[in-house]
Amino acid sequence: MTFKTLTKIATGVYLLFSVAFSAVAAEKIVIYNWTEYIPEGVLAQFTKETGIEVEYNTYESNEVMYSKLKLQNGKGYDIIVPSAYFIAKMSKEGLLYPIDTKKLANFSLLESTLLDKDYDPKNKYSVPYVWGSTAIGINSNDIDRQSITAWQDLWDKKWRNSLLLTDDVREVFHMALRVNGHSTNSTSETEIKQAYELLLKLMPNVLVFNSDAPREPFLAGDVSLGMIWNGEVIMAQEEDSAIEYIYPKEGAAIWVDSFAIPVGAKNKDNAHKFIDFMLRPEVAKRTVEYLGYATPNTAGIALLDEALRNNKTIFPPKEIVEQGEFFSDVGEANKLYNKYWEMLKAGQ
Amino acid sequence: MRIFKPLFIISVFLYLYLPMVVLITNSFNQSKYGYHWKAFSWKWYEKLWHNTGLMDAFVNSITIAVLTAFIATILGTLMALAIHRYKFRFKNVAGSMLFILMMSPDIVLAITFLIIFIALGIQLGFWSLLIAHITFCLPFVVITVYSQLKGFDENIIEAAQDLGASESKIFSVIIFPMILPAVLAGWLLSFTLSLDDVIISSFVSGPGFEILPIRVFSMVKVGVSPEVNALATILLVISLTAITVVSLLIKRKNSDI
Amino acid sequence: MNISTFSSLINFRRVVITLTLSWLTLFVLLPHLMVLLTSILSPDSEHLVVWPITLDNYTRIFEPIYANIFWDSLLLSGTTTVICLLIGYPFAYFLSNMTPTLRVVLLFLMVVPFWTNSLIRIYAIKMIIGKKGIINSFLLTTNIIDTPLQILYTDFAVVIGLVYILLPFMVLPLMASFDKLDKNLIEVGRDLGASAVNRFIHIILPLTAPGIIAGSLMVFLPAMGMFYVADILGGAKTLLLGNVIKNQFLVVRDWPFGSAFSVFLIVLMAALLAIYHRANSYIQQKGGLDDENL
Repeated sequence: MTFKTLTKIATGVYLLFSVAFSAVAAEKIVIYNWTEYIPEGVLAQFTKETGIEVEYNTYESNEVMYSKLKLQNGKGYDIIVPSAYFIAKMSKEGLLYPIDTKKLANFSLLESTLLDKDYDPKNKYSVPYVWGSTAIGINSNDIDRQSITAWQDLWDKKWRNSLLLTDDVREVFHMALRVNGHSTNSTSETEIKQAYELLLKLMPNVLVFNSDAPREPFLAGDVSLGMIWNGEVIMAQEEDSAIEYIYPKEGAAIWVDSFAIPVGAKNKDNAHKFIDFMLRPEVAKRTVEYLGYATPNTAGIALLDEALRNNKTIFPPKEIVEQGEFFSDVGEANKLYNKYWEMLKAGQ
Repeated sequence: MRIFKPLFIISVFLYLYLPMVVLITNSFNQSKYGYHWKAFSWKWYEKLWHNTGLMDAFVNSITIAVLTAFIATILGTLMALAIHRYKFRFKNVAGSMLFILMMSPDIVLAITFLIIFIALGIQLGFWSLLIAHITFCLPFVVITVYSQLKGFDENIIEAAQDLGASESKIFSVIIFPMILPAVLAGWLLSFTLSLDDVIISSFVSGPGFEILPIRVFSMVKVGVSPEVNALATILLVISLTAITVVSLLIKRKNSDI
Repeated sequence: MNISTFSSLINFRRVVITLTLSWLTLFVLLPHLMVLLTSILSPDSEHLVVWPITLDNYTRIFEPIYANIFWDSLLLSGTTTVICLLIGYPFAYFLSNMTPTLRVVLLFLMVVPFWTNSLIRIYAIKMIIGKKGIINSFLLTTNIIDTPLQILYTDFAVVIGLVYILLPFMVLPLMASFDKLDKNLIEVGRDLGASAVNRFIHIILPLTAPGIIAGSLMVFLPAMGMFYVADILGGAKTLLLGNVIKNQFLVVRDWPFGSAFSVFLIVLMAALLAIYHRANSYIQQKGGLDDENL
C-alpha cells in the first residue's frame, strides 16, 4: 500500500462526504418503504409538482423497520408504510405522530369499510395505502378448481409433500384458527395450542414455506396448491393464466399497509403533502395497475379499466371482506404464537 | 490424474458459472419471471439505466466495498501481525474478540452496531456503514493472514534485527512480501463480504445512502426485477474484461523480458 | 542499535497495538458486553428489556426443541465444510501448480461470480434444480428419468447452495497456504524416494494445515447463521440457529433470550474449537491456530 493510493482514497472519501452534506439544504422528505412499492414515475411527479426532494429508502421486513425506528426513538424518516398490526403496536408505544386528516384533501375518497378499524380507531395515526388478502392459490391446469373450497381441503392426505404455506406465523395460524372456528387474533393459549395440533397434521403435506414471493414456486411448477396473497396471483397471471385464487369458506385473512409518520420525523408538513398526493385518484389507479393490490380509494377504483375494477381477485366481494378478518397486534400472545411456530418447524 | 485435473477444474467452474448463465440469459429475456424464454430484449437494460435509485445504490455499494476491502485489509494485517509477533496486555482479549466477531449472528451485530453508533452520535449513513463493514470483515482478514504468518521462519527476522533493521523495515521488506498472497486473499474476501451484506447494512444504513443488497432483498416482495440480472451481467462483463486486459498486459510484459 | 531505529520500533509496535485494541474495544468488546448484560435482563414487549436480573433466558436454551435445532444446524454446517474442503483443496492445489498468470486469472474467475448478490444467485440455482428446471428437463428429455427428481426443497439443495456461497472462503486461504509451500521440500521428498501418497501425507498436508483450519473456520461459522439459503432452497421447513436468533430479535422481540442464545452459541463454539485444538496438537505438532491467540 503506497502513500499515493491512501491519499487517493482519502480524497474520494472527502468528496463523498461533501456531496452527502450539500444535499441537506433543499426541502425534502425521507420515505422508508419496500422497494418498488410505489409506481414508477410517481415520486418524480411529486418532486416536480411540489419541489420537495424525495429520498427513498428500503427495508426488507416490517420487523427491521420497527426495530430500527424503536432504537432511534422514531427519528430518521418522515414516511413509513407498516402493516396494520405494526400500526397498532407502534402507536401504543408512542412511535407515531398523529396525522391531521384535515390537511388531506383527498382523505374523503377512502372507502369507509377500510377506515376506523381496531388497529387504529378513527385513523389517528395511519392512512391506508394498499390492502390485500391471504387465501388459496391453485394451478388450474393441474388441479380442478372446483375441488377446493375451504382451508380444510389442504389437510387432505393426497397433497402429501406438495403444498406451499406462507412463512408467516400469523397467516399460517389464521388458517388453523379459522378451521377450528376461532378468531385470527386469538390470544387464548388453548385455542392457539389447538391450532398448533391441527397444523401438526398438515406438516407432512407441506413442501415449502415461502413469504418472499409465494408466486415463484407456482410459476416454476414446483407447487400447484397452497396459500398465497391476491397481488401475487395477479402478478403470476401475467405469466401463466392458469394460476387462480380461491376464497376459502372459513374466511380469508386481510391485511392493510398504511402510511404513517414517525414521531421524530423532521418534515411532518411535507409528509402530509406526500400522503395527500398519494391519495389522488389518478395515483391510486396507477398503484393498482403497478402492484396488483387493491386501493381503498373509491375515486381511484372508478378510474380503473372495467376488467381490473371487476377483478374479484383484486377487489373481493363485500361479503368476503366482512367474513374475513384483519390482523391486529396480539401483544404478549405473540410469544405463544412463536413458541408453537418453533415447535411446529422443529417437528415436535 | 492427467485427465482428472482439467476435468475437475472445468466442473468446478461449471458449478460456479451455471447460475450465472441462467442470470445472464434472463437479463435478455422479455419474460419478467424467466421460467420460459419469450423473446430477446434489451428492455431490462433500458429500465436499469433509468432506475436511478438502483444505480445509485449500486455505485454506493461498490464504493463501500472497495474502501472496506482496503481498510479492513490494512487493519486486519496489522492485527494479525500484532497477535503473531508481539506480546502485549489484553492480547488474549483481542484474539477472543475476533473470534466472537465471527461467531456473532448478523442480527446481534446489527443491533449492537446501531446502538453504539447512536451512543457515539455517528450519523447513520456512509460512515456508519463503512465502520460496520470494516469491523465484520476484520476476522476474515486476520485469520487468513495469521495462518500465513504461522510456521514462518523466525530466524530470518532475528537475523534482520541483529543487522539493525527497524521494525517497520522488517515488516515492509521481509514479512509483507511473504504474506502478500494472504493479504490479497483477505482483500478479496472483504470485498465480497461487503458487497453481499444485508442484515447489518439494513440496520446501520441511513437516509440518503443506500446500498444494493438492501434494495435487492426488499425487491423480492414485488418480484426480483430482471433489472438486477442486467446489473449483474454488466458487473460480470466489466470484471471479466478487466481480468482479460490485465492478464494480457502481464503476458506482454513477461514476453518483453 | 541507534536511537532512530529504536524509536521507530516503539512507534510501529505501539501504533499497531493501540489501533488493534481500541478498534476491537469500541466496536466489538463494548457491544458484546451489552449483549451479555441484555442476556440476563428480563424481556418486555414495550421497552424491549427491563431490569430484574434473571437466568431464565439461559435455562430456556436447554429446552429439548433447541437441542434438535442445534443438531440440525451443526450437521448442515459440518457437511458444507467437508464438501467445501473436498472441492476446495484439490482446486487450490491444482491452481497453485500453474503458471503465475494463469493462476491469477483462474483465481479471479472463481471470485467474480461472488460479486453478484448472493440472493440473486440463489434464485438462479432454484431455476436450475426445480421440478421444471434445467437439470430435470435435461434428464427427462434424455429419458434418463421418467418423473422429475425432487432436488429443490430438500437438505441436499441447502448444501448445494451453502457450498456455492461459501466456496471462496475455503479456496482463498488454501491458495495462500499453497503459495507459501516450499516446492523444494516436495522435491527433496521425491528424491528420497517417498511415494506420492507419502509426500502428500507427510509434507503437503501438514504444511497446509493452517490454511485448512482457517478455511474451515470461515466456512463453518458463517454457515451456522446463513438462514436465508436454507429458507429459499430448503423451503424453510427446518429451523436453524440463525432463524431462531433472528426471530427472537425481530419477530418475538425477546431480546434477552436472543442475546442469551447468541452468548451460548459463542461459548459452545469456543469450547468445541478448544477441544478440537487439544486433540489436534496431541496428534500432530505442526499446524493449527494457537488457542491462546485466537
